[in-house]
Amino acid sequence: MSAPILSVRNISKRFGGIRAVNDVSFDVRKGEILGLIGPNGSGKSTLFNCILGQLKPTEGHCEINGKSTDGVRPAELSLMGVGRTFQQLSVFPKMTVLDNVILSGQEHEGSMFSRLMGAGDAGLTRKAEQLIEFFRLTPYRDTEAGSLSYGQQKLVDAAMAFMAGPGIVLLDEPAGGVNLTMLAHLKERLQTYNREHGVTFVVIEHNMEFVMSLCTRIIVLAQGEIIAEGSPEEIRANQMVIDAYLGG
Amino acid sequence: MAELIQILVSGLAAGSIYALAAVGFTLLWQASQTINFAQGEFVMLPAFFVLVGMNFLGLALWPAVFFALILSLLILGLAFKKLIVEPMLPHGTLPLVIATIALGLLMKESVKEFYGATAQPFPAVFPQKVYNVLGASVSVQDIGNLLVSMLAILGLQLFLSRTRTGRCMQASAQNPQVAEILGVDVKKMVLYTFLINAALATIASVLISPVYLAKFSNGETLGLVAFIAAIVGGFNQIRGALVGGLLIGVIDNLSAVYISAQYRSAVPMLLLIAIILFRPQGLLGTPEGRSV
Repeated sequence: MSAPILSVRNISKRFGGIRAVNDVSFDVRKGEILGLIGPNGSGKSTLFNCILGQLKPTEGHCEINGKSTDGVRPAELSLMGVGRTFQQLSVFPKMTVLDNVILSGQEHEGSMFSRLMGAGDAGLTRKAEQLIEFFRLTPYRDTEAGSLSYGQQKLVDAAMAFMAGPGIVLLDEPAGGVNLTMLAHLKERLQTYNREHGVTFVVIEHNMEFVMSLCTRIIVLAQGEIIAEGSPEEIRANQMVIDAYLGG
Repeated sequence: MAELIQILVSGLAAGSIYALAAVGFTLLWQASQTINFAQGEFVMLPAFFVLVGMNFLGLALWPAVFFALILSLLILGLAFKKLIVEPMLPHGTLPLVIATIALGLLMKESVKEFYGATAQPFPAVFPQKVYNVLGASVSVQDIGNLLVSMLAILGLQLFLSRTRTGRCMQASAQNPQVAEILGVDVKKMVLYTFLINAALATIASVLISPVYLAKFSNGETLGLVAFIAAIVGGFNQIRGALVGGLLIGVIDNLSAVYISAQYRSAVPMLLLIAIILFRPQGLLGTPEGRSV
């Protein structure tokens, strides 16, 4: 079995007296599509933010390819090969789709001099166009991202997450607010990208149908702790999961 | 016809200088939600830096302009951001607005106190020649002012859209949280915006002072006109500020001749009221919502 690309080690996070995440540990291996699900208030987003360095865990730490992310700023995570999408739309609304995608890769390239005097696209136009094509956004290449539909902006968001060539991408509620047609398209594109490029995904999502059909393994959180882990079929049949969702 | 050409050219020349100040206004707003009511004084002050360089340090005009540019970048760019905007902004937009009004008063009264209340002659930056174009008298100064202002704004637009730093500045203005996560140094980009505003103010000051002379009170009208131009054109678009500045310059000159010299200042105000009532996002601006 390959070494884990992401290791979560005994993460706990307390807010005052409230324990949002309690001693959570798991590994994610290369090429996996891991779903992280749980009812509202189960600690999914807190855990996600701890992994991404946006919250400092009270205890525990994370490792990316064996390197600790302690003290690593969110901006530096992308240099460690971590891409992410956001729960809220994260495009730059007055920039074109092409410029949005280029921007998300350009901070990895070049010197201060090249930023001012070098090619405005940092030599990334071709790569950006390939990603735009992959997500079937080519007709909107030169359209301001803010004028696209919500679902299309989610696709731009996904293209941006892949621009820096990450080994692992964390997707924060990618299905939220996206219509069924666009959702099927998004799922198919993510699966294709996973299959063709071996990129690993960790997905937080409320849409159970989307998670069950996309993910290869699922971890269920309730009240800040892992209550179940397994394949989509195993999770569907797990009584503890059913109870957690139904409040039993 | 000749009179109209003359009015249009001088209106566009004045308007292009208003546009420089208005563009600075919109840049600061987009980058840091700073509404700078001292913008007029920002345009007034560099002319005095030039005069200090010439009269007290014995510099020739262009070295003195360079000296003024450096001082402007340090005082109107860096110090303004560090000493006023950064401490005040966390308390909200309104305290910052009040702080910039106070800053404007301080700058105005300081110049009056230390340099004098009388208008100071300012050396011409273009040859003082007037040409006859289709019967209209067109001065080299007007054409020069128009060209330099347009080149400065075009250069800025190209910088923002064609360089990687410019793209990062746009990203920082549109979505600072995400820009930061993508690795953009947002604080540095905001600083660049303040420096660009200081540079634009210096260019405007050097262009307008040979016409209006250098006077401590010059900023009163300039600041107001730049604010109106930015709102009329669209507060969130550089091209909007450009169009707003040119429009106000032309309307101001047309109304002085064809309506009333006494009420010339009221006409841009009427335009401002009409824009706020019927197209609050400005002529070229786009509607935007902000969470508060």
